[in-house]
Amino acid sequence: MKDIKIKVNDLSLYYGDKKALNEITMDIPANKVTALIGPSGCGKSTFLRCINRMNDLIPSVSITGKMLVEGVDIYDKNVDVVNIRKKIGMVFQKSNPFPKSIYENIAYGPRINGMKDKTELDEIVETSLRQAAIWDELKDRLDDSALGLSGGQQQRLCIARTLAVSPDIILMDEPASALDPISTSKIEELVHQLKEQYTIIIVTHNMQQAARTSDHTAFFYMGNLIEMGKTNSIFTKPVQKQTEDYITGRFG
Amino acid sequence: MATHFEMELDNLKSIIKKIGKLAEGQVSEAVKILLQEPEAAEGKIIKKTENKIDKLDIKIDEICQSIFALQQPVASDLRFIMSAMQISNEIERIGDLSISIVKKAKNIKEKHDLILKFDIADIARQVELITVKTNNCFASQDGNATGVIFVLNKDIRNSCEDAIHDIINEMKVNSKAVVSGTNLVIVLKHLERISEHCTNIAEYVYFTVNAKIIKHDKSDDLKAEE
Repeated sequence: MKDIKIKVNDLSLYYGDKKALNEITMDIPANKVTALIGPSGCGKSTFLRCINRMNDLIPSVSITGKMLVEGVDIYDKNVDVVNIRKKIGMVFQKSNPFPKSIYENIAYGPRINGMKDKTELDEIVETSLRQAAIWDELKDRLDDSALGLSGGQQQRLCIARTLAVSPDIILMDEPASALDPISTSKIEELVHQLKEQYTIIIVTHNMQQAARTSDHTAFFYMGNLIEMGKTNSIFTKPVQKQTEDYITGRFG
Repeated sequence: MATHFEMELDNLKSIIKKIGKLAEGQVSEAVKILLQEPEAAEGKIIKKTENKIDKLDIKIDEICQSIFALQQPVASDLRFIMSAMQISNEIERIGDLSISIVKKAKNIKEKHDLILKFDIADIARQVELITVKTNNCFASQDGNATGVIFVLNKDIRNSCEDAIHDIINEMKVNSKAVVSGTNLVIVLKHLERISEHCTNIAEYVYFTVNAKIIKHDKSDDLKAEE
């Protein structure tokens, strides 16, 4: 794989004494969608949260190994975690807009980063909403509360909010699991369009969603990375029996 | 305990085995009629079986369509179902060709002499054998069992080519042999096609088991070595 965005070397994560991730080594390519699949508790979300150091917030967590983002080890003590999270945005399973207007939700990030110019902010709000394919639906109600939007709209608003701070990488943890099929298909289409500019890593329980949206798929089981490869290969001719058993529903 | 989906796959497999056996019977019946004097009753049996094959062919298509729509199969399941649709098609063609052989065989005068003269019986028996081996190969889903079929197909093709060459030469010098000779050439071409369909089935079994497409790109010898 050329143009590697994230290089993971022997990364292990412990919750206290319990090892939740076991020496994960993988390369995540730039400007591609990488799906993380596996049964509940396999470590895929834990791994996703390692990529922008969200696990730092859990006191018992300790991490060994390396997570190199564009060659920089993000767990190096000299690295500023705030800068990491600016560069690596995240979208969660449940949409979590701020209890503010649609406009303020998007403008919030750039504003706390020091941007004050109204014209610039307006531009960012419009660009972000357009990128998230929701501008046409919301352009006439930017001052309305974000909490009044539908679930699907709220999730796309959260994606737009992530885009507003110009990240390089977007992490998505089950971004469509609470949405209806139409909203899900909009999110999936959006993921497809966004990969031109961003590196996207998506955790999903929905096997077909992984197959539809991603270029590469990594299968996790019990804290181990069992297999990673091109999505087309993983879903047509997986190498490992455990992968085959999982994707064909014969697991356990 | 087998899941609902696994039971559907087992059902599909058993229907393909069934349609395969029917086609095997058709080939065997056609070879019998070719090598012996035709009898009207046998013609009827072969036609009746053809109807059964057609119905099963449609049933297989319906089952596969339903599995694609409802189960979204992947990996080895996906390969098996893709192959099932193709194999069913190949088997149905084998059935059609058996009927064509019977029809043409009726138009061959002094058939016994010609069959003896051009070693047609050996070729016909080999074609019978390849259909049996192909059915066994599908039933066992044994990727290694395909090699024998590729080799056998090559032998059949060579024998057919030789026989056709000899028949054409005979027709050149003996104009009375043209009508029977032409019909015999068509019969040989049908036998050769049956063998090719068996090879195609073996290629689909190979694809199902090994996740590798080998049709089109290689000689029978190379395929047999895989």
